[in-house]
Amino acid sequence: MSQYLITQLLNGLIVGSLYILLSMGLTIIFGMLGIVNFAHGALYMLGAYAAYTVVGVLSGNFLIAILVVPLAIGLIGALLETTLLRRLYRVEPFYNLLLTFGLMLVIQDAVRIGYGPEGEPFNIPGALLGAVNLGITYYPKYRLFIFAITVLCSVGLILFLERTKVGAIIRAGTEDSDMVDALGIDIGKVFTFVFGIGAALAGLAGVLAAPIQNVEPAMGMNFLVETFVVVVIGGMGSIIGSIIAGLIIGETLTIGVLIWPPMATTLIYIFMAFILLIRPRGLFGRAEFLD
Amino acid sequence: MGRKFLTTTLIIIGLAVLWVPPVAAEEPVRVAILTDMSGPYAGICASNVDAVKMAIEDFGGMLLGNKIEFYYRDHHCKPDIANERAKELYERERVDIIIDVPNSAAGLAVSEQARLHKRLFISVGSGTTEHSGSKCNRYTFDWAYNDYMLATSVGLWGADNLGKKWYTITADYAWGHDLFKNFTAALKKKGGILLGNDNVALGTADFTPYLLKAKRAKPEVLVLLNAGKDANNATKQAVEFGLKKEMKIIHALIFVPSIRAVGPEVYADDYVAGAWYWKVDTPGAREFADRWLKKFGHRPNWMNPANYSATLQYLRAVKRAGTKDPKAVIKQLEDHTFGDLFANPGYIRPEDHMQVGKAYIFRAKRPEEIKEKDDCFEIVGTIPPEQAYMDPKKTGCRMGGF
Repeated sequence: MSQYLITQLLNGLIVGSLYILLSMGLTIIFGMLGIVNFAHGALYMLGAYAAYTVVGVLSGNFLIAILVVPLAIGLIGALLETTLLRRLYRVEPFYNLLLTFGLMLVIQDAVRIGYGPEGEPFNIPGALLGAVNLGITYYPKYRLFIFAITVLCSVGLILFLERTKVGAIIRAGTEDSDMVDALGIDIGKVFTFVFGIGAALAGLAGVLAAPIQNVEPAMGMNFLVETFVVVVIGGMGSIIGSIIAGLIIGETLTIGVLIWPPMATTLIYIFMAFILLIRPRGLFGRAEFLD
Repeated sequence: MGRKFLTTTLIIIGLAVLWVPPVAAEEPVRVAILTDMSGPYAGICASNVDAVKMAIEDFGGMLLGNKIEFYYRDHHCKPDIANERAKELYERERVDIIIDVPNSAAGLAVSEQARLHKRLFISVGSGTTEHSGSKCNRYTFDWAYNDYMLATSVGLWGADNLGKKWYTITADYAWGHDLFKNFTAALKKKGGILLGNDNVALGTADFTPYLLKAKRAKPEVLVLLNAGKDANNATKQAVEFGLKKEMKIIHALIFVPSIRAVGPEVYADDYVAGAWYWKVDTPGAREFADRWLKKFGHRPNWMNPANYSATLQYLRAVKRAGTKDPKAVIKQLEDHTFGDLFANPGYIRPEDHMQVGKAYIFRAKRPEEIKEKDDCFEIVGTIPPEQAYMDPKKTGCRMGGF
């Protein structure tokens, strides 16, 4: 295969990686809390701005940003859940949808007012500059780094959910949160924790994206809708689904440009419509979600 | 004379004084700016509100015996919102003129509203050549630049100085397509070849597939026909994939805020055309730039003095006309030569209502070359207005009556 095609495929992998991180967060929030989190893109953007603040303003290094920022965004997520979102669990899910939509607008405008609309400079950290010789082609080191972190997070999250006690509680809560509550576990704390993890993943995606994209207040909008497509295709609540669908969408968007440029973005919506017609639960989703 | 007679006379005089209707005061002149304050071009255009305000203040704030009223609205760079706001401004606020309106589709919508309501519109922000071409009308003026000027100045200069094999990446909407048409015409005039083009949706964050396609085609010049966020993302990623080592980059439109937004390393050694720069030797330009720096902490981008100039020239035209009646003011603007901090001389062509002036070619400086704040460009060439703008007889504009 030509060097050009390999490079394009690798690019699709990296775009897919960002979608994986974003959709894993979105899917567990939906899977467990039943919240369609429109503010997810805004949390991603906050991650990028937090990275800028750590590295650009406070002169920290990128490694610190990767460790600290997801924690910070996760805490912000937990705060939003405890103060705002949990008040609306008892009513229709529609209300939480409106709330997260409103939060998205507020967060975006707050950043625009605070930092300005044009954006902030953020460059690839020195240690990750340059390209790696992969034999068939040279590929930017930093983008491979994004892929590596995504693999680490995905494996980590799966292991956490499958192998730990807290993970078991979360999985149980996704199936039947009332039962978990009845068993004496404080489901409220679990909900907060899950939203925090979802937010942290979005924040991490933001940190990773900052060096390769324009850090500006509306940057989350570029990814939000496609992230929902990934979650729908993969199956709401399914981590594996997010991973597979994220890769599919990332590659479709990239290769689509080579095959039929005007249709590149439309292809993913056609695919989503197709999935909704033949298997509405998504590739790996559970049938119960449609009740 | 009897006291009765005196009293009656006084009462009659008193009633007469009260009876006389008050002199009808002429309505104040109402100036509005409609621009992108929170959308993709906000970083460049939101500050135009301050430019128009400053022009009104510098003019003295008063015109024809009344205080000049000032309005500003945000159209988020969307044509449908622009259309609504223009309609509201002309009908509800009863403004006499709307200024700016970036985004070509939005500009064309407002131009139509101006024609329908028979009020003025000076387009500064939108670049479409249709304002002075097939969609021209007596109430619309095009200020500062258009796509033909951008493309032709840097296109002709670039084909001569940078290379004749081009690859273009175009923002997929009215402005992008207009630019593409004008850039490729300039390239053709110089005997260059277009190796390929990609249309990319506005707001795309990931340009890598298109950049790799461009890299594969091995052009001498990569032409990025976009602006704002899109230009930032495309250029950042072009640097990442090493494109700059293999080709030169020409942009359609780059301002200092974009360079601030991603850092000068990203735009270093790229080329672009513009109508003004804060270091240009036009009288009044440096004072304006210094005032702006003092007030806002950074230098103005060239849209700011362009809007200032449009406002100032409108107010002066009203003064010369002695009335704010649109027809009289329009006649004062047509065929008028002026000098202000933006264009000296500037000239408003009666055939197509295009305000023409010199065009500049800029090279974005490398970080080590930047000695003072916001000194991001080096002027590498100037193009006189006769070459920078299309022959008014060839624009396709059939300027009608009122």
